[in-house]
Amino acid sequence: MSYLNALRLHFAGQFQSNVSTVNNDPGHFDNASFKARYQHMEGNHMIPPNGWFNPQGDAAFRLLGCTVNSAWMPSGQVTGSDPVLGYIVADSDGSVPAKLVDLDPEQQLVSQIWGLKVRIADADGNTLMQGDFEPAAFMDIWDRATGSGSGDIGAGAAYQSVLCNLQWGDVSASPFLTALQQAAETGVLSIKFNVDGLNMDFTSPNFMCGRIAGTIGPATISEPRHLVIGRQFMASAAQGGNFFTPVGGINFCAAVVDSEAGCIYLDLGNALSTTAPGAGLNNLGDLTLSVSGDATPLGTIPATGTGGYAGDGWYEQTAGVVALPLTVAQLQAVAAAPLVLAGNSGITISEWSNGAFVRADAFVHRLSPGDSIEIPVYAMQWGQPLAGASLSFVLDSNQLQTNTDSFPYVSASPPVATPPTALTFDATAAPTDDCGMALLALSTSDPGTPRWFNNGTDYGIDGQVYGIRPSFTDAAMNAGPVNQWNFISFLLWSGYTPANPVTWTDVQPIFQQYANLYPVMIRFLNMADYESVKAHAGLLSLAFGLDVADPNSMPVTRDLSPAKRAAILAWLQNPLPGAVAPPARVAMAEAPESLATIAPAGAAAPPRGGKAAAAARRLILQAR
Amino acid sequence: MIRLQRSMIEGLTGPAPSVQAVCDALQNAIELEHATIPVYLYALYSLDETKNAEIADIISSVAVEEMLHMTLSSNVLNALGGSPVIDQPDFIPTYPGPLPGGVQSDLTVNLAPFSMTQLQTFLQIEEPEDPLNFKALAVTDTITIGEFYDAISRAIGLLGDGAFVDPPRNQVGPDLMWNSIVVTDVATAQQAITTIVDQGEGTKTSPDAGVGGGYAHYYRYMQIQKGHLLVPVQGGTTPEEQYAYTGAPVPFDASGVYAVPTNPGNPPGYAAGSAQAFANDNFNYTYTSLLKALHALFNGDVSQDQFNRAIGLMMSLKGQAKAMMSGIPNPAVLAGPSFQYQPINPLIG
Repeated sequence: MSYLNALRLHFAGQFQSNVSTVNNDPGHFDNASFKARYQHMEGNHMIPPNGWFNPQGDAAFRLLGCTVNSAWMPSGQVTGSDPVLGYIVADSDGSVPAKLVDLDPEQQLVSQIWGLKVRIADADGNTLMQGDFEPAAFMDIWDRATGSGSGDIGAGAAYQSVLCNLQWGDVSASPFLTALQQAAETGVLSIKFNVDGLNMDFTSPNFMCGRIAGTIGPATISEPRHLVIGRQFMASAAQGGNFFTPVGGINFCAAVVDSEAGCIYLDLGNALSTTAPGAGLNNLGDLTLSVSGDATPLGTIPATGTGGYAGDGWYEQTAGVVALPLTVAQLQAVAAAPLVLAGNSGITISEWSNGAFVRADAFVHRLSPGDSIEIPVYAMQWGQPLAGASLSFVLDSNQLQTNTDSFPYVSASPPVATPPTALTFDATAAPTDDCGMALLALSTSDPGTPRWFNNGTDYGIDGQVYGIRPSFTDAAMNAGPVNQWNFISFLLWSGYTPANPVTWTDVQPIFQQYANLYPVMIRFLNMADYESVKAHAGLLSLAFGLDVADPNSMPVTRDLSPAKRAAILAWLQNPLPGAVAPPARVAMAEAPESLATIAPAGAAAPPRGGKAAAAARRLILQAR
Repeated sequence: MIRLQRSMIEGLTGPAPSVQAVCDALQNAIELEHATIPVYLYALYSLDETKNAEIADIISSVAVEEMLHMTLSSNVLNALGGSPVIDQPDFIPTYPGPLPGGVQSDLTVNLAPFSMTQLQTFLQIEEPEDPLNFKALAVTDTITIGEFYDAISRAIGLLGDGAFVDPPRNQVGPDLMWNSIVVTDVATAQQAITTIVDQGEGTKTSPDAGVGGGYAHYYRYMQIQKGHLLVPVQGGTTPEEQYAYTGAPVPFDASGVYAVPTNPGNPPGYAAGSAQAFANDNFNYTYTSLLKALHALFNGDVSQDQFNRAIGLMMSLKGQAKAMMSGIPNPAVLAGPSFQYQPINPLIG
């Protein structure tokens, strides 16, 4: 049970993701060669190379002006007599905004939302339901806008998670919310939303904002939190583009067959392209859902006319979720046969021929040396949990991101996924259980400091990033296109042992790097300055001591290892001074630069944004 | 010196004030203490701290103590069984306008960037009571802030220890807030009020604030006007002879003030859909969230976690205000926060 349910509401509005961008270039993590201009807003075509498009970002993720636009109950569509249709979906009104955070400068394509509280409130802001959004990363990023605007502004992606720690107000005035509260006896709700149309023009009032459209429905504890147990439509990759362009014009999507209700819920929210960033949907023709090989479709989603998906407001009303009725005979027909969704000539997407699918639930993990974890991975077939399946795992760093020493990057980035021996895991898991779940058992050792700069002598990026890709052990079960994004990302921190007692000598490089990468901090203190940090030790102790799920937690980037955090907290209790030897290359860093050396003649970076730039640095592309 | 309406102490002056009258006065006190904070913060965040660090430090030190005064007033109100009301639209005064309970013709308070003119408003708010003036004005229909608190303190004395809730209720103590006082009886209530008055006005014999160290607010602000820190000097016998504005310079660099508007919430406000409105809406939503967080804190959710949430919101407001006032992200667009109650974001959907 998930948001693809007879009981669900759809909302739409804007989001803000005010991420900072100095950390987009891995070379900026090199304290020894950092330059003041790296904190400045980028110039035309990134000349000179600098802080990219939002160096002053504070990482805030906000829900703005989101309204409940439609709601459905088992009895049918909710009508205007239910006040839920006048309600809003908002973020916290009792704590600071949530944060949007990259895993790492060399894995920027699984940005997670941390510390988000989602509320359903009346038009005056009075809370009727609120829950904590379990941190989640986006999935299925693609080149959604086909018209003007490429790069990040043309991208679309989706977030799926659960809301927990639910608190309910008096919802008796709304039959819908009353039903939702009853369905939420599990203590969780399912939420999924799509984001697109990011505005990257800093002179615009909508800078760093975009469109959001989503769905909230019930959830089951035994099901995955970030993944639908359902029918999975799989797309092949076309050449080119920034992120992913589906050959058949329709992106990865999921559906759930509801035998009781006699219908199929199809989530096209992140699957249909738009005419421009954040604009209406392209007319791909009437979309027919069929059993593969059957001439008679199960149902049709009209492109135009009443309820046509290419019409104004359809996306905001539905968040892209369609319910098509199925007869008893159709229910039987779809039970074990692949589904195909098709529109105009060439527009098509289908399930694998065997209807199978495998994916990890949570696919972003931060680990310390010596950690052992078990990561739930789910197998399904024909929309049902697949028990007894054997799943395999391989290291796969193809989607991680590095760069050579080439414009606009300030230096070559450190290697990823090495040493490979720092991750130890069983190549094959025990068979899936009745829920279709197997566990990837993984343990770690110290990767050392493979991402320090200057041949490993200068402080650099902590730890290492890795990728592990799941699949069916039986190769024949992998019966269709593989989703390039369907892998598990890891940040494995370096081992760290500070001196005892901890002095400024130990913590200075850590603070210096944050001061460099996050110019927002100078509004509060100078993290590179001993006296300033010492003077703010109380507030810093508070912020560094919070749970990382707290929206106030420092560092915002969630990239500080527990070992370094412990050292910082110890130092803040007793902020001992300590000598700081200037890195050998500081003199070089402060030397005057000529534009000719830092931006070679003819150099020009396309205005595509951080995500698209990162996507262009993926190893898989460099191998081609 | 700011004058308050005599009605602010109505019910406190007789021989048998009611608990409700004291509670009403304390609610007014909370509103009065809060009302100065947006004014001080607006000036503080309008300063480029690289050019006006000394002035920023002074204003910041006062604003922090106004937050303590809000807390102390809430503690006394809670100790008497009352409940501070903070999460309300009318909790926030309108700028420009008088301070809560203030006399309209006496002082109109603006949300304005720092200037020597705006400093005069600060000085007027914080100016200590002059005993000679007090006698002359006693027959009028206005009172000083000092008299307001004296009346509350006196009334609490008449109520006696029996009026205090046992066990102590909803107290934000020194474990959470530096220099806070847990109020349980007449003595601790009067100690809390003395702290508020001394930090604001100083004692009768010295500019020292007593609790918390430093000078009373008026003298701190006078350092800006005089251009030098106030320091003790040798040899004198009277208070006036024992201190002088002859310490380190407190320079004012007028080029280090961002050109933000005065009273940005004044109709028509920022144009709908503008970058200023966007930043202001985010700020006001966070500010309203802070009022809600403080309301919860002062009404029973007295926990480290809730206190941390409030602190986090204050830091977020600081970061947002500094960005919008200094032209981040667009140097061509400056905006000042209007400090208005806004429980949904954006203001207009």
